[in-house]
Amino acid sequence: MNMEAVALAVFLFTYALIMSERIHRAVAAMFGASIVLVLRIVPWDKLPTYLDLDTIFLLMGMMIIVNTARNSGLFEYIAIKTAKLAKGSPIKVLILFSIVTAVVSSVLDNVTTVLLLTPMLIYIAKLMELNPIPFLLSEIFASNIGGTATLIGDPPNIMIGSAAKLSFNDFLLNMGPIALIDLILTIGFVYLAYRNSLKVDKDKKNKIVRTLERLDEKAAIKDLTLFRKSVTIILLVVLLFFVHDRLGLEPAIVALFGASLILLWSKEDPEGILEKIEWPALFFFGGLFIIVGSLEETGVILQVAQWMISHIHSQGGALFVISWFSAFASAIVDNIPLTAAMIPLIKNMGASMNIYPLWWALSLGACLGGNGTAIGASANVVVIGIAEREGIKITFGDFLKVGAIIMTLTVAVGVGILWVRYVW
Amino acid sequence: MGLYSSLIRRKFRNIAGKRYDRILKEYKEFLLAEEEMVLPEISSILMPLDRFVKDIPLELYETLSSYDARVLLVYIIDSQVFSIINQTLSRDASEEFKRKEEIYGLKILREISSELENFGLKVQTRLFFGDKGEDVIKLAADHDLLAISKAYGSEITKTSPLSPVAFKIIQHVNIPTIIY
Repeated sequence: MNMEAVALAVFLFTYALIMSERIHRAVAAMFGASIVLVLRIVPWDKLPTYLDLDTIFLLMGMMIIVNTARNSGLFEYIAIKTAKLAKGSPIKVLILFSIVTAVVSSVLDNVTTVLLLTPMLIYIAKLMELNPIPFLLSEIFASNIGGTATLIGDPPNIMIGSAAKLSFNDFLLNMGPIALIDLILTIGFVYLAYRNSLKVDKDKKNKIVRTLERLDEKAAIKDLTLFRKSVTIILLVVLLFFVHDRLGLEPAIVALFGASLILLWSKEDPEGILEKIEWPALFFFGGLFIIVGSLEETGVILQVAQWMISHIHSQGGALFVISWFSAFASAIVDNIPLTAAMIPLIKNMGASMNIYPLWWALSLGACLGGNGTAIGASANVVVIGIAEREGIKITFGDFLKVGAIIMTLTVAVGVGILWVRYVW
Repeated sequence: MGLYSSLIRRKFRNIAGKRYDRILKEYKEFLLAEEEMVLPEISSILMPLDRFVKDIPLELYETLSSYDARVLLVYIIDSQVFSIINQTLSRDASEEFKRKEEIYGLKILREISSELENFGLKVQTRLFFGDKGEDVIKLAADHDLLAISKAYGSEITKTSPLSPVAFKIIQHVNIPTIIY
């Protein structure tokens, strides 16, 4: 049996299943992984090599921290506080929610962030009697941009960080400035595109302020002690991420340390918290790693990498191709399987060029490419899904008109900065 | 449902699972409902009284006094009871019932009216024959707030803490209602 062809067929079939969403993506990935294991394309003893436990444990640790902190009402508190700070001004709502979404997304996963902030954003838009679409679009873009800024912000970054042994500070220094500039540009663009529908008269504004003042952010705090402990642990974990490379600790260890500390200190029911871990997401990652491992094992990745190297002769060219290819591909395919496939490819290119800037190009394309279409990233799907449930229709075209421009603009800015930094 | 919509729904279900429903439930516990977002303008308050209405709480006077509104106190003598007494007993008995009801009605209207005026409210009073349920529902249409006793229309019990008349009224009125 031609194992190369089988591995490629399983890979393509699984990716097609993931794209169609006919069955759960975790099931698709597990099924594909089981086939390559049954056929011994990936030998059992090599499983630990391909299964990226750094990524899986980092995600698991952060999920435990977030789920425990969520029980305190911390995130609802942040949402209400932000709403009140905006004082009924649509522009302030747009700016503040975008900034808060970006900041929270840079520390927590994007899906959790938008799940927690979108209900409040829709509530305020209804209160202002304004079209909620610009606010929701800005939230989606901010979430994807915020996730780009740090090692723990977006799963592709976690995977890249683990594969390339890049630290939290490496990400912050390389991707942070790009994310900041992109966020400013995005807010400015959304404002310009929807400026006519972001107006409320003075009387209505006063009424909105009065209604918002009646909301009590403290009422959202279900457990003040847990709230304080959660804030302390999250700050401690972020602090440890800043110094993890100096301490010689893997990011996954930091996350697991934070997770165990919050469980120990908060005395929350561990069964309840551990049940809430998104096991399907973790199995999805595990399955993908094994499927991509089968491509590595059979030499498919090496051949693609050699083909790429023969066509791309310079580091600048590789940076350009990887960033734009991963951006356009991420706009169509889920960025997690895309990143899983691109990582070994870039690793194999390391034999003929310095691949350090290419990791940033991949991060840039995989994270920001998601802004291109309505199905480009998980945050997009979640916000559009919530909007649909609330009777707000964001069509594929509505999204594409703004998203494609935002994607092109933000990736171009990122590529420009990386080019100046590493190629020029 | 189009292809795009069904794809979004499938993806949403696969990515978010039941997490959104849980989050939404938590938000709804402290966010205002849509109708609560609009602060109602209260300029007229309807307050029906009868002999079953006893012990008006001080908090009600305080709450009503927070509105810059006029209060209409109505005492409705049940015309059906009057006619039943007339038919089953005698005309004199029904007249006696009417006389006693009017005396009690005017007394309670005076007392409550004076209490409300002490809280700075402008008060009008009315006493008439009619149907306690139907007439209050009709009158409520011209007012912004209804303040009604749980015992309006009949006595209440432990197993039935809201009188049938009050229950019918609050089911049919479209204005904010305080039940005391």
